[in-house]
Amino acid sequence: MTVGRIGVSVSMMLRMMFRRRIIPILLLVIPTVFLLAVYATTSERMMPFRLASVDEAVFLEASERNISLLFLAVASVGFLSSFLALNLIQRESAVDRRLVLCGFHPVALLLSKLAVLAGCTALIALYVGLSLLAFFTPERLFLMILGLFLAGLAYGSYGLLVGSLIRGELEGVLLIVLLANIDAGWLQNPLFYAEAENQFIIRCLPAYFPSQAAIAAAFSDHPIGTSVLASGLYALAFLAIAGTLYFIKMRRK
Amino acid sequence: MMLRVENIAKSFGRKAVLNGVSFHLAEGSMSGIVGENGSGKSTLLKIVVGAMKADSGRVAVAGCLGYCPQEAQLFSQLTVLEHFQYFAAAYSRLAGGKGNHKWEITRNQLLEHFQFGQYGRHLVAHLSGGTRQKLNLCLALFHRPQILVLDEPYNGFDWETYLRFWEYARQFQAEGGAILVVTHLITDKHRFGHIYNLKNGMLQ
Repeated sequence: MTVGRIGVSVSMMLRMMFRRRIIPILLLVIPTVFLLAVYATTSERMMPFRLASVDEAVFLEASERNISLLFLAVASVGFLSSFLALNLIQRESAVDRRLVLCGFHPVALLLSKLAVLAGCTALIALYVGLSLLAFFTPERLFLMILGLFLAGLAYGSYGLLVGSLIRGELEGVLLIVLLANIDAGWLQNPLFYAEAENQFIIRCLPAYFPSQAAIAAAFSDHPIGTSVLASGLYALAFLAIAGTLYFIKMRRK
Repeated sequence: MMLRVENIAKSFGRKAVLNGVSFHLAEGSMSGIVGENGSGKSTLLKIVVGAMKADSGRVAVAGCLGYCPQEAQLFSQLTVLEHFQYFAAAYSRLAGGKGNHKWEITRNQLLEHFQFGQYGRHLVAHLSGGTRQKLNLCLALFHRPQILVLDEPYNGFDWETYLRFWEYARQFQAEGGAILVVTHLITDKHRFGHIYNLKNGMLQ
């Protein structure tokens, strides 16, 4: 019966999300604009860079354009997923509380939100990953898409955490944009990372492991297991905190 | 006794809003609570339905409870029918999995009684304030509770809907249900068995 209840909840959340037209528009427009902007402003010059997640000093070579395209793809999936997560958890939370008061278990409600987030993130990662095919052919397409998905999952969980902590929509969006911009949109760029000081700080940020997984899959045949595992743990840690906060919020009297 | 409230106290910071409030609702009774803006009426109702914790005191409920909040708490991007479906999923946990058919019958009876069946497929965002309030109220009645706790339930109703609300309330009362209504309309006082005036955190 709980599965049926989660099914109803997932279906209602998807309807609400796609009826707010701004969301599907953003999902389509942001990656397209990002990728076209990168394509128009970068050159085909070959650039050597270090694959940071591999122990030995592994240097790869790819064109500046392809590296930037992939890096911005990771950033756009991360940004969109966190925005989506914030929207899911923060908007109309008073009605969620009414549902809980009427008998809906907060854990069932949270699981519905996670299912919607994971499904939408997978679709965004697939769409963005396949869009990259218009510009270059990655070495391992599906593992690269997995890297994009993990970036979305890590940032989606971060979005849930921000939404559980912050009540105001504007403040929530600002927190997401700030971190996504600094982390996924700047520090994880492999060209920047190769020359960066205090690299351990960059390694602690949520987009590090997903970026490494996507880059390794797109430009090499190096294994990405460690990056995948670490990305999953990162998302899980955010989810655990966000879930606990959400549960307390729904049950608080 | 269907509802017994004993010595409820609640403060927000240094401001004491409720200071030893006690009352009870018997089977088939209808009571009203009046009071100035900010006197703590909504706070008291939230404590009664378990949406807020009292600093001290006790609430004992014998039966299923339906609560209509003062402000319509609805999903703007869902239709009227979708709200009934979503809330049926919530209530079915309390009602022990009442079949879909029974939920549909109750939903249709409410839509017919409050005359807004024609808006079934309309999004809440596109409804008038009065129709939203009808839905807000009907969601509290949907699981056929034995006790109704209603916070200004007829705000924004037209005259006919207002009369239909009282018709429903009378029938509910006749079937043995207990009703507690927060109201501003002193003209309704003849409808209640008891009227409590909430003043200085106490019922008078």
